[in-house]
Amino acid sequence: MPRFNIRPYIFIAPALIYLAVWIFYPILNAFVLSFFDSPTGRSRDYFWVGLGNYTKLLQDDLFLKSLYHNILWVLLSIAIPVVLGLLLAVVLSGRGRTRLVYASIYFIPQTVAAVCAAIVWRWIYDPSIGPLNHMLEAIGLTGRPWLADESIVLIAVNMIGSWSYYGFCVLIFMAGLQNISPELYDAAKIDGAGALQRFLYVTIPLLRNAITFVLVYTIIGSMKFFDLIFVATNGGPNEASTVVGLRIYWHSMREGRFNYAATMSTILTVVILVLSVVVIRQIVTEEGD
Amino acid sequence: MNTSAQPPKRRSYRSSRIIQSILIHAILLLFVFIALFPIYLMFNAALKTSAELFQSFLSLPKDPQWKNFGFILNEQGYKGALYNSMILSTSSMILTTVISVLAGYGFAVYRFVGKQWLFLLVLTGLMVSETSVLIPVYQLLQDLGLLNTYAGMILPQAALGLTFGVFLMTTFFKDIPRALIDAAVVDGGSDLQVLRYVIMPLARPAIMSLALIEFMWAWNSFFFPLVIATKQWLMPMSVRIIDFMGRFTFKYDMIATTTVILFTPILILYLITQRSFHRGITFGALKD
Repeated sequence: MPRFNIRPYIFIAPALIYLAVWIFYPILNAFVLSFFDSPTGRSRDYFWVGLGNYTKLLQDDLFLKSLYHNILWVLLSIAIPVVLGLLLAVVLSGRGRTRLVYASIYFIPQTVAAVCAAIVWRWIYDPSIGPLNHMLEAIGLTGRPWLADESIVLIAVNMIGSWSYYGFCVLIFMAGLQNISPELYDAAKIDGAGALQRFLYVTIPLLRNAITFVLVYTIIGSMKFFDLIFVATNGGPNEASTVVGLRIYWHSMREGRFNYAATMSTILTVVILVLSVVVIRQIVTEEGD
Repeated sequence: MNTSAQPPKRRSYRSSRIIQSILIHAILLLFVFIALFPIYLMFNAALKTSAELFQSFLSLPKDPQWKNFGFILNEQGYKGALYNSMILSTSSMILTTVISVLAGYGFAVYRFVGKQWLFLLVLTGLMVSETSVLIPVYQLLQDLGLLNTYAGMILPQAALGLTFGVFLMTTFFKDIPRALIDAAVVDGGSDLQVLRYVIMPLARPAIMSLALIEFMWAWNSFFFPLVIATKQWLMPMSVRIIDFMGRFTFKYDMIATTTVILFTPILILYLITQRSFHRGITFGALKD
């Protein structure tokens, strides 16, 4: 046992204190706030309501709808940019220096602020002057009012998110693939494994770390996103693309119902935590097999 | 091991290889197009007049309207917004990087009671988002009288990237050979000297990566500034864009110019320092 030494604590203290003030205290405070209500939003007017906010939330169709949209967003983001990123990374991994050029270009959308991405894609989707409908009509298809159609708006907005995200996934998976020794592939080839089998039984298991990271990162990002949807549709049309972040913003900043919004925040935190832990445990137990 | 001793390829096999290779290139290039097309539109729209834009989004501008930029920056007062973005990003970058380097040193070099537990505590910060902490942070700033101040905008923003920073610095510093640190300690070096003369020179690329990524995050950030900076003189570029959209609902050219002004500094930074960006982003994912 090393002798007690104060010095490491001095070095980590600023980070811990900083996080305590701006992250941990707010998380706990949101939890506490969720058990109170207040007619004015001021802390001196708080009164205890127990689980009142939670029972109200469970009957709040708009909140449930927004939570459902967030979950849908997680699935869409895994189905499109993550899978695409993995496939592109595998295709690129066989190449020399050109793969870095491709990966660098794919990553550029990730550097575009979500606000800018939303603005540009609003033009692309514009039903009358947008290039997407023009292109579709040029090849004989009919365009649609992408962001004004309740049945497709969420997918249309997710495409914006996917656009900015797939390059990030390519980069992570490509770095992961670099750590896989080519001899393993040669061995699999000699054993008669086809390309698909090599992908499923060599690539995927050895990318476990990268896959875990990307899945958890995707879940967290999908549950909390706000900027993109705020600018692209602001939850519309008819709340068909609303998400929890928008509801929190709306209830707190527009209506002053801070306790109700804090309840949503708390549920969001719990959902993120549970989903992340489930993914991590799932993958860790598979490793044990 | 050596792949040079493969049997000669048959002709049909070879031609199918060529088709396959063309197909793969076509797919790779398709995604290059997808990545760059919206960015092309953004720059293109910024240099056109409104009338020209409505005729066609795609064609190149006949007479590039460079004066759009001057109009936005000077006459519309966006110069101030650019300055605010600069202050916000630089300050939160410095704050996060310094605190992360210190904590990374503590976690990577020392063994101490509660280390693993404390590191895990820091990591849980990764799962926290602006939306989860909005209300308490807002009320805290209100109580401190920091709403609509630079400090109020910077302090919580820096916290959002801090977990990532501590994690990245710790993993990088752990890779530094222990012998180098021990040698410096034997020579009588203090902690700060070890950090300054042993760790910092070796970890400079990592620190660069962190600083760049934090800068980009703060530059592109939207949610906290939207809520905390409600006075126009304080709004960073990312928030002022929205304000602009309300006032000129269909002034696509003006909005495009603003998005270009917001995006260009980051694009240039990224193009110059790609490797740093990539290093920072991939490193965290693959070490654990």
